[in-house]
Amino acid sequence: MSENISSQLKKSFLFRGLPEEALTAVAQKVSARNLAEGDVLMRKGEAGNSLFMVDDGWFKIVTQDASGGELIINKTGPGETIGEMALLDQAPRSATVVAISPAKVFELKQDAFQEILNQRPDVALALIRGFSSRLRFSTTYIQKAIDWSQKIAAGDYGFIENTQQILKGSESDDDKATQLLSAFFQMVRSVKAREDDLKQQLEKLTLEIDEARRKQEFEDLTSTDFYANLKEQAKQLRAKRMASENEE
Amino acid sequence: MSKGKIVSIHSFRGGTGKSNTTANLAAQAALAGKRVGIVDTDIQSPGIHVLFGLDENKMGKTLNDFLHGKCAIREVALNIGEHAFDAEGRSKLKGKDIWLLPSSIRGREISQIIREGYDVNRLNEGFQTIIKDLNLDYLFIDTHPGLNEETLLSIAISDILIIILRPDSQDFQGTAVTVDIARSLDIPNLILMANKAVPKYDFADIKKQIEETFHAPVAGVLPLSFDLADNASKDLFSLRFPDHEWSKALRGVANAILAVK
Repeated sequence: MSENISSQLKKSFLFRGLPEEALTAVAQKVSARNLAEGDVLMRKGEAGNSLFMVDDGWFKIVTQDASGGELIINKTGPGETIGEMALLDQAPRSATVVAISPAKVFELKQDAFQEILNQRPDVALALIRGFSSRLRFSTTYIQKAIDWSQKIAAGDYGFIENTQQILKGSESDDDKATQLLSAFFQMVRSVKAREDDLKQQLEKLTLEIDEARRKQEFEDLTSTDFYANLKEQAKQLRAKRMASENEE
Repeated sequence: MSKGKIVSIHSFRGGTGKSNTTANLAAQAALAGKRVGIVDTDIQSPGIHVLFGLDENKMGKTLNDFLHGKCAIREVALNIGEHAFDAEGRSKLKGKDIWLLPSSIRGREISQIIREGYDVNRLNEGFQTIIKDLNLDYLFIDTHPGLNEETLLSIAISDILIIILRPDSQDFQGTAVTVDIARSLDIPNLILMANKAVPKYDFADIKKQIEETFHAPVAGVLPLSFDLADNASKDLFSLRFPDHEWSKALRGVANAILAVK
């Protein structure tokens, strides 16, 4: 059981940097909890005083939309951590989390967590590293997102292909920055697809001329006496007008 | 040729918006302070008078009277700028130097001239005389579509020939022949204009294709517009709605005419 918990802990960005024996120490403070479909794990606004790791099953993270209806922000499943920030800042829960299938979670209560921090400064330091690396990751990508936004505004979508690798290469699945970026890229792809579609609608018109017919019609029109006469008259008229203007 | 240019507006087929374009181009030239005459030589199916708010009652002598030797050409010219017209666009021409030489809209007179024909040389003399009499900067000639004798005359004597085409294959074919004729007649200035272009097409591409095909400048690609159709010749559209896309493109063509030295 505690080994299973240790391997779950390793998946969380928070505990990823801890040595094995520290993970075991944390795992010992954790308790398991089973939930049925529809059970509420936490409610928005409640005091937050524990962290959950999903071992099995799925949850929806919901808030309320403007008209008071349920708005699903996200879904979360095995290996993911819920409510980790509460361990440090004890702020009220920012959303409600409801099981959408039978589920099992591991819970680390805030006082147990506090105890570890007091006993193990090395663990505390590793946790700080975990937070700061995440923060650095987020700011890096926020900066990139700003650059990309400017490119999108200028109609330059070339970065989409080049940056796929970076996203694929990022090792953590639970990272919210990654989720935001993937949503961002989804949006850019949709915008680009729509724009390409519009460009295609600006169709090209292909106009052709039957050159043989053109030649024939020209000959029919110009082979008359009227035409020959007209051509001569027009020539004289121009010469006359030119001359009268030169006089002026 | 700095004075009194003849500007013929021609299209191979009907329905290109030729009369509407002619009236608006002439009006733009008048607004720019030029002395402008407009002759409706579409004797078989006259129409440009409607755009200037004229009906049978307001019309005096017509081009038909002149061609039949019943009056001097000067008597046909009606000063548009002196009439206080009802419509908002047209009223901007008040005080401008712009004259219309209408064709008769009486059925009997139309059928007579179609039956008996007329001397195209007399028509030509009329053009030259009215330019002198009214000291015109520009004489705009609204021609009958196609390439009959009087149309060929209007083309032959013009200093500037505007060919209007709709961007479709049938007009392309007919326009090609007209362009060849214009070159054969040594027309000094040939300007093309596309009208009623369907907005889904790439206008820059239409312009490029026409210019490459005919080796002549395209002064404007004007959009097919429901607003224009809705105006239903009740008023001069480019004066009534100067900020409309059609009006902006039309002014581009007018500027191309005014730029000819």
